[in-house]
Amino acid sequence: MSTVPKETIEVIAQSIGITNLSPDVAFALAPDLEYRIREIMQESIKCMRHSKRTILTADDVDSALALRNLEPIYGFTSNDPLRFKRAAGHKDLFYIDDKDVEFKDLIEAPLPKAPLDTSITSHWLAIEGVQPAIPENAPVEAPTEIRKSSEYKEDGIPVDIKLPVKHVITKELQLYFDKITELVLNKPASIPFRRALISLATDMGLHPLVPYFSRFVADEVAQNLHNLTLLFALMRLVRSILQNPHIHIELYLHQLMPPIITCVVAKRIGNRLSDNHWELRNFSVNLVASICKRFGNVYHNLQPRVTKTFLHAFLDPTKALPQHYGAIKGIAALGSRLVRLFILPNLEPYLLLLEPEMQPEKQRNETKRQEAWQVYGALLCAVGQCMHERAKIFSNLLSPSTRASSRPNGKAMIAMSSKRKASTENLMQQQQPPLKKLATDGPGGVVPMNSMSVDMQMQGSAGAFSTMMGVPNVGVSSMARQISNDNTMGREVGGQQSKVSSILAQAWKDDIDAGQLLSSVYELFGESLLSFIPKAEAGVFL
Amino acid sequence: MEEDEIAGYVTAYLKKKGFTQTEKIFQEEFQTNKTNSSPLEPDIAKHILSFSQLESGPARFHDGYSRLRSWTHCSLDLYKHELLRVLYPVFIHCFMDLVAKGHVQEARHFFNTFREDHEMMHLRDLQKLEGVLSPTHLEEMEFAHSLRQSKFNIKICEYSYELLLQHLHSTQSTTILGIINEHINFQVTPGQPSSIVDDPEAVTLSGSSQDAANQINQKEIHWGLLEDSLEERLEKASSLLSDSEKGEGEAKEGETEENKKRPVEGGKQGASIKKVKKDKGGSATGKNTKAEVNTVSAAPRVKPELPMPIIPSEVEQSILEDLRNRVQLSSVALPSVSFYTFLNTHNGLSCSSISHDGSLVAGGFSDSSLKVWDMAKLGEQTASSLSQDENDTSQNPQMGQSGGGKRQYTLFQGHSGPVYAASFSPVGEFILSSSADSTIRLWSTTYNANLVCYKGHNYPVWDVQFSPVGHYFASSSHDRTARIWSMERIQPLRIMAGHLSDVDCVQWHANCNYIATGSSDKTVRLWDVQSGECVRVFVGHRSMILSLAMSPDGRYMASGGEDGTIMMWDLSSGRCLTPLIGHTSCVWSLAFSCEGSVLASGSADCSVKLWDVNTSTKVSRAEEKSGNASRLRSLKTLPTKSTPVYALRFSRRNLLFAGGALAKNG
Repeated sequence: MSTVPKETIEVIAQSIGITNLSPDVAFALAPDLEYRIREIMQESIKCMRHSKRTILTADDVDSALALRNLEPIYGFTSNDPLRFKRAAGHKDLFYIDDKDVEFKDLIEAPLPKAPLDTSITSHWLAIEGVQPAIPENAPVEAPTEIRKSSEYKEDGIPVDIKLPVKHVITKELQLYFDKITELVLNKPASIPFRRALISLATDMGLHPLVPYFSRFVADEVAQNLHNLTLLFALMRLVRSILQNPHIHIELYLHQLMPPIITCVVAKRIGNRLSDNHWELRNFSVNLVASICKRFGNVYHNLQPRVTKTFLHAFLDPTKALPQHYGAIKGIAALGSRLVRLFILPNLEPYLLLLEPEMQPEKQRNETKRQEAWQVYGALLCAVGQCMHERAKIFSNLLSPSTRASSRPNGKAMIAMSSKRKASTENLMQQQQPPLKKLATDGPGGVVPMNSMSVDMQMQGSAGAFSTMMGVPNVGVSSMARQISNDNTMGREVGGQQSKVSSILAQAWKDDIDAGQLLSSVYELFGESLLSFIPKAEAGVFL
Repeated sequence: MEEDEIAGYVTAYLKKKGFTQTEKIFQEEFQTNKTNSSPLEPDIAKHILSFSQLESGPARFHDGYSRLRSWTHCSLDLYKHELLRVLYPVFIHCFMDLVAKGHVQEARHFFNTFREDHEMMHLRDLQKLEGVLSPTHLEEMEFAHSLRQSKFNIKICEYSYELLLQHLHSTQSTTILGIINEHINFQVTPGQPSSIVDDPEAVTLSGSSQDAANQINQKEIHWGLLEDSLEERLEKASSLLSDSEKGEGEAKEGETEENKKRPVEGGKQGASIKKVKKDKGGSATGKNTKAEVNTVSAAPRVKPELPMPIIPSEVEQSILEDLRNRVQLSSVALPSVSFYTFLNTHNGLSCSSISHDGSLVAGGFSDSSLKVWDMAKLGEQTASSLSQDENDTSQNPQMGQSGGGKRQYTLFQGHSGPVYAASFSPVGEFILSSSADSTIRLWSTTYNANLVCYKGHNYPVWDVQFSPVGHYFASSSHDRTARIWSMERIQPLRIMAGHLSDVDCVQWHANCNYIATGSSDKTVRLWDVQSGECVRVFVGHRSMILSLAMSPDGRYMASGGEDGTIMMWDLSSGRCLTPLIGHTSCVWSLAFSCEGSVLASGSADCSVKLWDVNTSTKVSRAEEKSGNASRLRSLKTLPTKSTPVYALRFSRRNLLFAGGALAKNG
């Protein structure tokens, strides 16, 4: 009948030592017990309300007992609400989860920190009725505002809707952010900064800060191009963020990529000549490469855009040499295929441009000459790596005869391939712009080239290997000759060179004869290239 | 054989009543007398029969009530809601009858069967009654007791009444009829039944006798403002100035700017006066014309019934300065809110209070301490932001920092129980605190010391409030009384007794002649300070009352309850103008802006809401006649970041200060 069963009374009686409690007494006590409990609860709720709380605590019950002149129940003093656990297998049975505490542990444990003292902070909850978007204020919830506004519309009262403008980060994160940025700006070489980088690369829960970091990096890079150490620190910060497995960086790539690419192809980095900006460029190139590798297949336009930027820098002769360096490095880092696609076809004319810069008699400026050599090195490196890979892939296909037989082969097939010529010519016309770019700085050659390469891949089935190798070979070479003849730059183009350039011009094709390629490249670079070619294959060539 | 039947019933009755001895004797006598018994009167036989039927045990309550209930639910829609009102009193009295007769099990069963019907309207009452399980409990519990003692008043139309009686007679449900006769007082009104939402009192009527309340509410009250108040002086000064301005035609630039403000302020007051005069009720508050400035003199002014303390002239000057620089608030010009967040309170903050200029913030803690922060000295930002709006720091008491060294606050220790309320004197040189140790202490912020300990209450003092002029203060306690004190006496001047449960909050009327008290018995009472009599009872809340606020024009009062409803009352009529529904949890604090156009409410649901008072009062007056429920317009909800709002205070310049302790998440 009452919610307190009389068994409870019996148990309580036994627990205080009354063994011979008659059932009648228990029966009479049970409802009274319930009533008293309710009475005490009512008073406790009053105490809770007057303590301006909505959660009942043990203190409230003690106060209520005090109101009734009863002894408080000891052992439950806590300002925090008690944590109840549901008893397994029962729907509405709860118990307080008390842990056994060893006295020894308790005594040996170091003193806990003193609790922080009460303090007050003040902020503007509203300024003339409008809540400022500061961290102290709760984020504005747009849906409710909109709902309310529609409610008010009935009254015909205009209500301005404030859309959410705030992004809340906790105080801790703010501190973290401030600390990191301070380290970046002031002590990029210190040990704390190195630790910070590790933390950035491993810690969870930093995701809310990513937009702030990317913004920070973008701002600082834009303002501090002359400060090499800072740029380096920033790039290391970016690398750490990229490494962090808990951060979804891809959402902020659009903001992060520009500063990184800036560090690759910036015209001038650092304000002293001694500044080793090449290293920074290399570092940033690696970042770009890793980003493209990681997200390239998810975001299809990422790599083309990056490539376009690099190519733009590479093909523009008016750009400074460090920029070319960065671009070459960048393209090389994106893979050997891109080297073949973009660098090799332009290699020869580019070297022609570069050559005068490298010679002491033609370029008086020591620095410029140094730069030119750096570019040359980068170029060599890129081509060499590319050749290395080709050589590896085609090592089984290579034979000494290839080189000799290739040309007659091609000539013999001219007739056969006449019907194909139209398409090849077509392709060649598309091919032209990048070549011409050397002089005209024409934009946007990347996309058509990409599509073209796909075309060619489609055509280049295994069966048509030899045909494909031969036909365009001739067609292209003749076309290339025309082009080079037409070339207004008035450069002397010998027959040998034109052959080289023609071979290089078609380097974008997947199935180009590696041997030919190598030989032409060899003619351009000389012995230095050979170090990139594995010994065995090199032996075959030479 | 008829006689045998009767004998059977009689024995059954005796058995049921537990008269075993009598039953035995009756049986014996019946056996002996069987032969020579005279035939009974048929009438008597019938009576006995019906009586035995009537006494067919506790089940008759259950049956009777369920029959009435199903009948009510099947009745005509037009009269249904009126008849439904009858169910609740019948329900609780059936239950209490069952308990009183000792049928505890049946009572519990009955209660649980039908409690759902009434949970929506009377949840807290039901929770209280639920625990009543024996006749002694009924005696002990004041709520049940008062229910038993008093009658319910139910307004009902003639036809509904007839329907009800017909039904009860035709179904022979004498039990229910008895209860209705005993405990319900029908106020039968001719004509059509009233609309459902018309009369909240008809539904929420509690055990307190409404007649008495009505009678009390007949008394006259003078809610006008005090004569010769500072505001009035300012009005006079400004009207003089504007008069002279008219005469001269030109005035200095600074003065003209001030004059732009003053007529508006004067207009406000003029408009509020018009509200009083119902014949002029049509005028809108928004239309402030210069002509209305002249009506200020017509404001009802009352003489103070208490001897008023003298305000030092420099304080007066600073107040006047504040009044001149007051920002005008309205539904389109909302106040700025500065929020004081208590950090690291460890769930110990039980009250907070903000001084009239917002420079001092007090917190009462459950560890018996009272801590006072001087916000002007705390942090550069605060000081600068404050000084912009409240740049007149000269009025602040120059409070010496305590010897606490690094401590940011001044610690006041003296209480021996949780501090439940704190109140600053109007100028800010004193703080009062009330505590669970049943004392009130007066502290000086100038000397950082306890000055007086007022002992008088016998139980925890829930609330204490300085009067608007200082010197006097009112307190309310668990001992069901409110008391008026003056600072110089350690004995209370008046004791206000009459509430049926704890007095949870207290508030002074703007003219200091009245105090309002809110209680756990769900009523608000207004008391005359001079006579100590109750002059108004406001019935309508459905939960305990936690906060009160008086409008500065003295005409309205707002009260906030545990369930999040705020009610706006008209003091002169004692009626609820409109319930303001919006908060989802306890309303800890209420505050009117200084010209009375905006009401701010702070709640445990972590938000400050701003309400348009002008609309609410205006609309309700218009709708009083049309008989529709009025609706108050919520102007703005300002959510905090998980900080329940404990205290609110409009500064004299209408900057709103709010305070609360940051609650831990989870």
